[in-house]
Order: sequence, then C-alpha cells, then structure tokens
Amino acid sequence: MENLFDLFIRNVFVENMIFAYFLGMCSYLAVSKTVKTAVGLGTAVIFVIIVTVPVNWLMENYLLRAGALKWLGSSFADVDLSFLSFLLFIAVIAAMVQLIEMVIEKFAPALYNALGIFLPLIAVNCSILGASLFMQEREYGTIAEATVFAAGAGVGWALAIIVLAAIREKLKYSNVPEPLRGLGLAFILTGLLAIAFMGFGGIEI
Amino acid sequence: MRSLRRFIDKIKPQFQKGGKFEKLQSTFEGFETFLFVPDKVTSAGAHIRDSMDMKRTMIVVVIALLPALLFGMYNAGYQHFLATGEAGTFWQIFSYGFLRVFPLIVVSYVTGLTIEFIFAQIRGHEINEGFLVTGMLIPLVMPVDVPLWMVAVSTAFAVIIGKEVFGGTGMNILNPALTARAFLFFAYPAEMTGDKVWIAGMKEGTGILDGYTGSTALGELAQNISERIPADLNSFLGFIPGSVGETSKLAILIGAIILIYAGVGSWKIMLSVFAGGLLMGLIFNGFAANEYMALPAYKHFLMGGFAFGAVFMATDPVTASQTETGKWIYGLLTGMLAILIRVLNPAYPEGMMLAILLMNVFAPLIDYYVVESNVKKRLKRIRRSPAGNRKQTY
Repeated sequence: MENLFDLFIRNVFVENMIFAYFLGMCSYLAVSKTVKTAVGLGTAVIFVIIVTVPVNWLMENYLLRAGALKWLGSSFADVDLSFLSFLLFIAVIAAMVQLIEMVIEKFAPALYNALGIFLPLIAVNCSILGASLFMQEREYGTIAEATVFAAGAGVGWALAIIVLAAIREKLKYSNVPEPLRGLGLAFILTGLLAIAFMGFGGIEI
Repeated sequence: MRSLRRFIDKIKPQFQKGGKFEKLQSTFEGFETFLFVPDKVTSAGAHIRDSMDMKRTMIVVVIALLPALLFGMYNAGYQHFLATGEAGTFWQIFSYGFLRVFPLIVVSYVTGLTIEFIFAQIRGHEINEGFLVTGMLIPLVMPVDVPLWMVAVSTAFAVIIGKEVFGGTGMNILNPALTARAFLFFAYPAEMTGDKVWIAGMKEGTGILDGYTGSTALGELAQNISERIPADLNSFLGFIPGSVGETSKLAILIGAIILIYAGVGSWKIMLSVFAGGLLMGLIFNGFAANEYMALPAYKHFLMGGFAFGAVFMATDPVTASQTETGKWIYGLLTGMLAILIRVLNPAYPEGMMLAILLMNVFAPLIDYYVVESNVKKRLKRIRRSPAGNRKQTY
C-alpha cells in the first residue's frame, strides 16, 4: 500500500511527464491558454491514461512479451510478439480516445468545442503512449501498480497544464516583448517551471 | 540642491522628444526621479492617492535588508578569522568581510542595472526600480566565496529570462533573486553546496586550521550528524556559516519589523510560512523515523535560509499570491514544502529556495481559484437577496 502511494506521488511530482520527460508538449503548449480548457483536457488525459495503461499492461503480459502466450499451451512458450507493441498500444489508445470523444460531445458540448482538434489528437499525445511504454520498460509486476503509475502520470500532466494555464491567464496583462508573445514565452515558462519542479528530484518517501 | 534642479532643467530638453539624446530619455528620467519628486500628474484612469510609489516601496525593502547585510559582512570576516584561528579587532573583522561581500554587491548591481537600462532604452519604457531590491538580495543569498563571474552570469540570467521577457518589473512569475540562485545551484553545484564554500578563503585553503569544517547545520543534518548543530543562541544571532544574509535571525527580525511597520511586506505571508514550517516540523516529530525527523520543529527556523526566505523572498508582492485568502494558502504551503524538501530530500539540504520557487509557480493558480470561489459566493448572495430575485420575495 505504502509502495503504491510512493509510486503515485513520485509520478505526479518527481517524474512529472512534462517537467522531467517533456512528453506531450504539443497540446500542453497549445491548449494552456485558459484554465477552464486546461482542466478539461487534463481530465481527459487522466482518464485516457488510466484506462489505456492497464489495458496495455494486459496486452503486454498476456500477448506480447516473450513467453506471455504460455497460457495457450506449451507450444507457444517461446513466442515473442513484442515487436507488435507499438502497433497494439496505439490501437488501444486510439480506440479509447474515440470513445471519450463521443462521451464528451454528448455530455459537455462546450468543452468539446473548446478542446477542438486537440481531443482527437490525444490519440497521438506522446505522454499517453509514453506512459504505456514506460509501463513496458519498467516492468510493473501487477496491474494495480500499472494503474497507480498511470494515475500518477496523468495527474502530473494535468497539474502541469493547469498551472501553466493559470500563469498564462495572468500574463495576459503583462507587457511582454512582441516577438515572445504566445508560444515563445510559453516555452521559456516551461523551462522555468521545470527548474522550480527540480526541488522534488531525489525525494525519498 | 537648487543649482542641481536648475542644471537638470537645463539639460532636460535634449532628452525629450526631438532632442539630441532622445534615445536616452528613460535613463535621464530614471536619474531625475531618483533625485526629485516627479512633477507629472496622471491624467486618466482610476488611481489611488498614496505616498507609497514603487520607489518608496523598494527603498523600504533595501533599508530593511541593511541589518542583515551589515551583519552578513561582519559574519563573513568573523567566520574567516575563526577558521584561520587568528584574532582580530572588530574593525579588522568587519573590513575583511566588507571587502569580500562588497564586490558581490557591485557586480550584481552593475550587471543587473546595465541590462535593465538597455531594455528600458530599447523598449522605450521607464526604468523600473524593482532591481534595487533584487540586486541587493542576490549577494545576500550567495555563499561568500562564490566567484564574481558566476554572480554576473546568474544575475544576467535572472534579469533577462526571469524578468525582462515577461515585460519587466511587476510581471515576472518567479522571484528574480531566487531564479539567480537556483540557476547557479543547478548549473554549478560545486560552488553552491558542500562545506567549503560558506567561509571566505576556505577553498584556497591557505591558513585554514587543520580539520576545520565549514559546513552548515543543514549540511550536517543531511548526513544525519545532529550533535554538531550550533547552539540556538548562536544560530539566532548569526555567528554560523551560511549564505551572506541568511545567518542572523536577529537582523532578519529587525528587517521584518520594518517591512511590516511600513506596510510593505505582508505579515500574513510571513506568519503563515512560519506556521506551515512549524506544522510540518511537528508532523515529522510525530513520525520521528530518524534523527532529522525528530529535530525540534522550532530549530528549523534557526537554520539556513528559512527565516530570510519567509521575510524577504516569500513576501515579494509580485510573485506571491495577490488575494488575501491566497496569501494564507501560499504561505502555509511554502513553509510546509520547505521543511519537507529539507528532511526528505538528501540531495538538497536547503529546501526554502525551491519551496518558494515552486509556490511562485502555483500562486496564480491559487489566486484563480480564490477569485472563482468569491465569484460563486457573491452570485449565490445575489440570488438570495431580495434585489437579485424579486419574484421569490413577492
């Protein structure tokens, strides 16, 4: 239990998807203009990650890994399908995003319009595929671990985009030099935020 | 005085539009308003009549920093003489410290102000006084032995990337002085941490007593050696190794009183930072899994930059939360995080810098939700009141 809590906190703050790995930058920079849409996208990303990583964990452990197909019979014991992992992971993610898009369109049309093209683009959001690949690389032993890791990664990403959105809303009133307005400053800001987040690097719980 | 006024009036036309030195107008204006009260009157918009303009605010902070600065100079000399085992008179000690600390101040002011002036000329706005405080804070949070070029580089980074790209004074997100320190901390860790950097002349090692260690209390604690922490009174008065301005809690207390009395620093933030630190310290005391966690909570205030950060850095009106409720939340979390990083993160013995930077990042978000909840509260009040919903009352 303590282990899972540690895993969650670590992935929210220490190994933050944005500030430690810089994954999922495109939508992070593009949809962080207002807090409201940032909260919407953040929630969507949390949801997609929490669903896809455990599903992909099942794929990985019962289908793809070397020896994962043992449950079919001893003749499959040395089949290694891991070269298919990119393909299958992306397929799972794309299907999930499709589903979420339909749900959001039905129940929150305003958010659906605000997110625009970035909702379907969650499918190719690097942080989502990244989470699945980290799950594969780090070889989480149980599905519970994989889920908690996914929750941490998603919450960390959402936190990062919401924080940036709040700052950018405040910056609307600043006299920023012309060439830096918009995206330029967002890049610099991300770097500065990463410095601030480095305070967590190396924390042991 | 009058002849000076006359002289300024005489050369003024050359700096105004169409004059010979039109480009240098903001420089001229900066110096003019430094010496005289400006005669310009705001002509449009809502404004408040008050004696506190930015220049006064900044000067008050600089005055509040003076006790810490003077003591920092004395302590720089004191620690050096202690390490070499020599005896010196008060003036010998002070002048040694002065000669070590003063160059830091000069470098930080010259670098920072040059950049500020250049930006002001190019962008055609007035020179802001914000750097008066930043330029003073930067040397105060540096170890005394830091190379001067590093001070220059970090100051340039803080002023350009930390402040000017956001539009200058009053628009930055992170506290510039802490940005400078964090930059050095991550770029040149060898010069910013360890047990050699806190005492002047220790790195060269000439004349230092054998076996003399110049580590700070926090450095010792990070390695779980708690018996070498200096006595409480020494820590309070400041005769301990550390960054230039952070050692004497007495000088910081005087500064805090000045800031609060003048209404420049927010007492809410100061109080809540200390409350947060105490709370976190007590929580760790409850666990007491190792020596560090069992350390009495109040001792955290006497070590490192906690007090300095709480009084001079966390209260920065630009980067802190701006709403009153937000200030409580912001301060409380800053204090808690600082102790949390100190105790749980062996890589960074001092958590105050990183805690304040992190809360600077979250301050706009705190403000956003405080404002949102206020809006909701008021909407509800309107709906309940007879004026807002007449139908129900009829």
